[in-house]
Amino acid sequence: MLLASWFAPAYAAGNTKEKTLFTQANISISGQVTDERGQPMPGVSIKVIGTNIGTVADANGKYTLSLPDNQVSGKLQFSFIGYLKQEVSIEGKLVINVTLQPEPNNVLNEVIVVGYGTQKKATINGSLNTVGSKDIGDKPVLNAYQALQGESPNLIIQQSTLDPGANVNINIRGIATTGNNNPLLVVDGIVSQNVNDLNLLNPSDIANVTVLKDAGSAAIYGSRGANGVILVTTKSGKFNQKATLNYNGSYGWQVPDVLVHKVSAADNAYYRNEALENSGLPPAYTPEQIQQLQAQGNGTWDIQHLIYDAPLQTQNVSISGGGESNSYFISGGYQNQMSNFIGNGGQGSDFGYQKYNFRLNQTSVIGKFKFNGILEYTKTRNKTNSVGDNNIIADANRVPANYSWTDAQGNFLTNPVASQYNEYGVLKQGGWNQADNDRIFGNLNGTLTITNNLKLTGVFGGTIQNNGNFFRRTQVNYLPAGVYGNDLTTFDNNAKSNAFNTQLYASYDKTFHQDHHFSATLGVSSENYYERGFQLQKTLTDPTFGTSTTGTLIDATNSYNSLAVDQNSLLSAFGRINYDYKSKYFLDFVFRDDSSSKFAKGHRNGFFPSVNTGWLISEEPFMDNIRKTMNNLKLRVTYGIVGNNQTAGDYSYQTTYFNYPAAYGFGNVLQGGAGTNLSNELLTWERAATFNVGADFGFFNNKLTGSIDYFNKVTSDIEQTPLDVPALFGAAPPVANVAKVRDQGWEFQLTYTLKTGKVTQSFSANIANTKNTLLKLTGNTQQFTYQQDVWQLIRAVGHPITEYYGYETNGFYQNQSDVSSYPHPAGTTVGVGDLKFKDLNGDGKIDSKDQTFIGDPFPHYTFGFTYRIAYAGFDLTAFIQGVGQRTEFLRGELVEPFHYDYGQTLYDHQLDFWTPENTDARFPRLATIGSPSNTNNWRTGSNLYAFNAAYIRLKNLNIGYTLPPTLTQKIGIQKLRVSVIGQNILTLSKLNFMDPETTEFDNNVGGSNASNSARAYLLPKFYGMGLDVTF
Amino acid sequence: MALGCKKLDIAPNDQYSSLNFWTTSANVYNALNNNYSLMYNSNLYFNLEGTSDNAYSANNSDLLLIASGTANSQTAEFQNDWASYYSAIKSCNEFLAFVDQNKTLDAATLARVKAEVRFIRAFEDFNLTKWYGDVPLINDNITEDQAKTETRTPQAQVYTFIVSEMDAIASALPTKDQLASTENGRITKGAALALKARVLLYQNKWADVVTTCEALMGGTNGSYSLAPNYENLFNDPATNKTNNESILSLQYVPATTRTWSNYWDFAPRSVGGRVSALAPTQELVNDYIMLNGDSITQSGSGYTEANPYVNRDPRLTATVVYDGYQWNNEGSTNGPSKTIYIKPGSDPTQPGLDEYSRNSESSSPTGYYWRKYFDPSALANYQSGNNLHLFRYAEILLDYAEAKNALGQMDATVWSQTIGALRTRAGFTDPNALNYPGNTDMTVIIRRERRVELALEGLRTDDLRRWKLANTVLNGYVHGAQFSGDPSTDNGYIRAQKRTFNPNRDYLWAIPLSELNLDKALTQNPNY
Repeated sequence: MLLASWFAPAYAAGNTKEKTLFTQANISISGQVTDERGQPMPGVSIKVIGTNIGTVADANGKYTLSLPDNQVSGKLQFSFIGYLKQEVSIEGKLVINVTLQPEPNNVLNEVIVVGYGTQKKATINGSLNTVGSKDIGDKPVLNAYQALQGESPNLIIQQSTLDPGANVNINIRGIATTGNNNPLLVVDGIVSQNVNDLNLLNPSDIANVTVLKDAGSAAIYGSRGANGVILVTTKSGKFNQKATLNYNGSYGWQVPDVLVHKVSAADNAYYRNEALENSGLPPAYTPEQIQQLQAQGNGTWDIQHLIYDAPLQTQNVSISGGGESNSYFISGGYQNQMSNFIGNGGQGSDFGYQKYNFRLNQTSVIGKFKFNGILEYTKTRNKTNSVGDNNIIADANRVPANYSWTDAQGNFLTNPVASQYNEYGVLKQGGWNQADNDRIFGNLNGTLTITNNLKLTGVFGGTIQNNGNFFRRTQVNYLPAGVYGNDLTTFDNNAKSNAFNTQLYASYDKTFHQDHHFSATLGVSSENYYERGFQLQKTLTDPTFGTSTTGTLIDATNSYNSLAVDQNSLLSAFGRINYDYKSKYFLDFVFRDDSSSKFAKGHRNGFFPSVNTGWLISEEPFMDNIRKTMNNLKLRVTYGIVGNNQTAGDYSYQTTYFNYPAAYGFGNVLQGGAGTNLSNELLTWERAATFNVGADFGFFNNKLTGSIDYFNKVTSDIEQTPLDVPALFGAAPPVANVAKVRDQGWEFQLTYTLKTGKVTQSFSANIANTKNTLLKLTGNTQQFTYQQDVWQLIRAVGHPITEYYGYETNGFYQNQSDVSSYPHPAGTTVGVGDLKFKDLNGDGKIDSKDQTFIGDPFPHYTFGFTYRIAYAGFDLTAFIQGVGQRTEFLRGELVEPFHYDYGQTLYDHQLDFWTPENTDARFPRLATIGSPSNTNNWRTGSNLYAFNAAYIRLKNLNIGYTLPPTLTQKIGIQKLRVSVIGQNILTLSKLNFMDPETTEFDNNVGGSNASNSARAYLLPKFYGMGLDVTF
Repeated sequence: MALGCKKLDIAPNDQYSSLNFWTTSANVYNALNNNYSLMYNSNLYFNLEGTSDNAYSANNSDLLLIASGTANSQTAEFQNDWASYYSAIKSCNEFLAFVDQNKTLDAATLARVKAEVRFIRAFEDFNLTKWYGDVPLINDNITEDQAKTETRTPQAQVYTFIVSEMDAIASALPTKDQLASTENGRITKGAALALKARVLLYQNKWADVVTTCEALMGGTNGSYSLAPNYENLFNDPATNKTNNESILSLQYVPATTRTWSNYWDFAPRSVGGRVSALAPTQELVNDYIMLNGDSITQSGSGYTEANPYVNRDPRLTATVVYDGYQWNNEGSTNGPSKTIYIKPGSDPTQPGLDEYSRNSESSSPTGYYWRKYFDPSALANYQSGNNLHLFRYAEILLDYAEAKNALGQMDATVWSQTIGALRTRAGFTDPNALNYPGNTDMTVIIRRERRVELALEGLRTDDLRRWKLANTVLNGYVHGAQFSGDPSTDNGYIRAQKRTFNPNRDYLWAIPLSELNLDKALTQNPNY
């Protein structure tokens, strides 16, 4: 929020005309208070020690104090929150100017961006965290969210894939709704339509990020505050600062971490025979064939031969500076992240993601008017393969090691397992999907200072976006047979959207009677969003160009004109009223009233209030004695109601009928059809009642600072598809306000700064946890959101929103008497080496009554730890991040040997299976699909598939050396720093064959199609160098 | 609000709302066509053959479970098919609830489209009851709350309802002969009679079957006759679309997005097949008789294991691809004309793509591929616009033969009208095959005729159920050709899958567990 800079000082207050409190006024003392940078300091409290005579400095830091002459030998005390108190003997002086020094490391002193303004940390009662540019800019990531991961407690970032340009799952304080859990993103004061828009920003343009967590901080965003708010402020120039030119860049390689290893082809054949034998089937390989495989050795058909160490680079240039009445910041950025997959699909550049950023931020002050404009242009291009990563990885993994992708002549080969496709050939020649997105972000805003106490701000801003996609599938022929892409599909699509936001708000700030400080912000806002797009899809296009030729067909079902329009509007009024007494007792009231086009008349208005209090205990006299040890202590309590309107679609209260082509045919001629979307006219917001209690503290001259928070949030009227409607209803029931979730949790963060001699160190750690409980789900029912033979996902009242469900394993049938005595599921036949399941209800049968809750897929105890040390030009930053507790179920060919016969492989990590010699195994005996053994072990959903996905990761390591300025200044360089950078270089996890960070879920752990086949894009480790030069 | 000039009442500009949808006549047809598209689909049509002894699916996990007798109330196929049929029913009920809002279509037209929709609804009811037994019979546009208390209607009542619906709608429907050629594929009087005949047959109501079939054989409800060439009925695009045998077909349109491509996973790999997803069994192949009318097990039939595919019912070659098959591509771009080598090691071009191998997902796990429904005009990846026959006249003749025989009325006349006619059309010329053989083994003969005539048309599992043969033929191994290489086991025939069938449970599918959880008025079928 750039607004912040021209809104400051937040404490623009003070009386210009002071009156003495004593009638017996004899002398008058005046002066000005300035801060450490020489800037006037408004709001400073001045009092005569030992009396109750005092005043407050005005907006220009000036004060006048009348006092009886018996006080001329006294002392004046100047105090301001976050600054060291200063005492000055009057000694008859009539003018006393004072410069106050900030308390070292006092976080209460920070100016923090909040919605529609800024506030000093000390005055904030809500729960929020800030992340500075230092914690974002030093990491060679293309994605600002990756940079934020682990930096703010309970800001939970998960990857669903590590593909270049891929979006992430974002949760603030866990999961509080079964619907959309996306936080609201606000960039420079303008509300974004999509939380992933942050990824379009150049991370090095970000000045700071504020994460609003509770109702106290987020209620100003009303109907969209329930999931928290991420406020991003981009960099701007400063007044009276000479122009500087900064260049920073990094270059390095992403080394994909292949964690899986096939057993040799001969071993694979041997185990395959064992599986067949255990299934009562004849062997597939003769001993001679196995010997032959042994002699042949391994081929190239694996992941390793589809990937390479892909380069990743970033280049950024910025110029900033400012004069008396204007300031500017201009930057340009280029980022290029190549995909780890080889190839280019046949034409053009290799697979990868590029982003170009240009930013302009200009501020001018003209009398009482301050004007700011921000313009940003972003272009991204993402070229990916035409078949999908999952398919590539699955096909590479499911084929035994004796096969190769190519023969000596370079022909692409198929084999009896992967008989149709060869993904090496697809990557090299099978076409591509290229997204080209352009976005312009603009923000014009102005503030008029009407009086010293009253300001009026107008904002107009938004984005214009144009997203395009070009897809081609081209033909690849294989030997001895098989062909890919002979449908020769080409499609082109484009979507244009506008999102505009207009705001007008007034801010008032005044101190009454010295101790009563009052400020208020009241405003209105209007938002409009509009999107339309088209697509043209053809098949059997020209093999070289994708153009239309003989036989080309237009795919009417998948082609559409620019008719489809998504549109929504939101009209709002909002306000924040702050009051504090003696800068010790804080009370504020925040509200928003929203009116949304997503809901029907009568259901579209919502009022969202929050009442918040704070007590700066450390300012109390009784704390005087320990203040030297405990410098700060503030208690905060908030309660409010915030909303969530994101789950509902744009028109979901209206029943609609959509026509479509190619429903059927009569007389060999296509016939169109029409389908129905059912509606719910009663649909309205979700409401989250949130209670938060927290404390901020500082010890030992604020070398040790931290905060702790606890929250309890109950979200009701959750918008979701009713889950209690049987399928025999025959249609998807429309979304309704039906569920209720409680989300409780805590956050703790601690920073310790240590300076000994020339060495400066800082340790910063945060940890958080949340626990969500489903309180109601469409009439207290429970729902399976995923039901397969491997496990189930359940939503059940009284349990976390989504849990794995199935049988608990109970070791193996170790001998024949086990087999005859211990029960097994009805319909299965078991033998020695098969899994036993727990008979939980003890009825001597294994049936659905023995199924139970077997794991929570959401990460718990998420933590981050940053260590910095600087000495004589050297600096080091190490950032560690992780998850303390998570259960992840994985299935597919990397878990089950010879998976469905679709997979014909066995992996090193699967070798711990039951044999008479290995009775305490991780996995049951080998058997093939369709056999009783396989059915019992692998088709009877159980925690056989459970893996511990807790991890701790050295996410970032940055070691730099700054050349001595005395040296570099001779050639006009103010600062020159070189660095080496490592990312993801070390991970500790019990899950050793797949990256524990990736998740198959979306951000509400919704699982209608969640089934992790362990086929995610590989985790790249990054090794590179950086250069940072400032002129 | 000063800044907000945008209104908050926003409607989509590319969709109709309930205010204006039904009053537009074109939309009535669009909604009708939507119901047609929901009626059935190619996956249902083909895949479920894998639950019978005609075929084995090696890579469809649900079919594996069902065929091996280990499916349960959470098996996805049970849930998905249930939901699919009820979604069509919902769409039909909605249509019937709202279509009268239209004031521009004439009464006869409205009556006709309603009759078509009632046929579709009854067809869904029929599919539901044949798989699940007693099922909720939903004839109204029910609410979400009503859905939670629906109870199961006994199967007999469901069947009675379907028959009464067919009787009720017949008068509003045209006969086949009254259809304009642009209406080819729409539901006719004949279709209503054909569904009625099938429903009666499944209840063993032999006398009613006879009358219903005779209503179709007489020509007054549309002139039906057997197409001259069996193979062309499925494969040749022109015959497939225009013939007098098809009573109702699932309609597709070539070179559009209304196509199907299941055959991609049926064809041998050397002629463009992808994987072998559904393979014919040795048990099916064995039921094709010899050209002389003898079954292969009959002494003197001339059958020899060493050369098993010669002198067989011509429909074998029209249906199944076997080792040494002379593949004629008929101009297809999907693969050449060639000999198909399936016996391991027999292909002069190695590796032999179609050869049987236990480790291959692409070659057939039984040593047989399908020829039936090979469409030479299909686009790449066998995207075919050929229709899939739901009811054809041959079935009526077989229904008739079966009913007559059950009534003890089979004779030379009925024989020549039915089995004899089908065999003549199939290409038999030997009088021993064509002439009435007397009543010895007539039940076996009729059933065998029905199996081979209708193979891969989705009726075999139904027949096994109503004949109560499933516990015999779906227990034990299902086999492939004599290529296992292990003569000591089953004489060298491939053991493709071990099947079990619990007669106390598996004659009905399980009601999906999720439905039982949500509608407490539902009950489960026995032993699930």
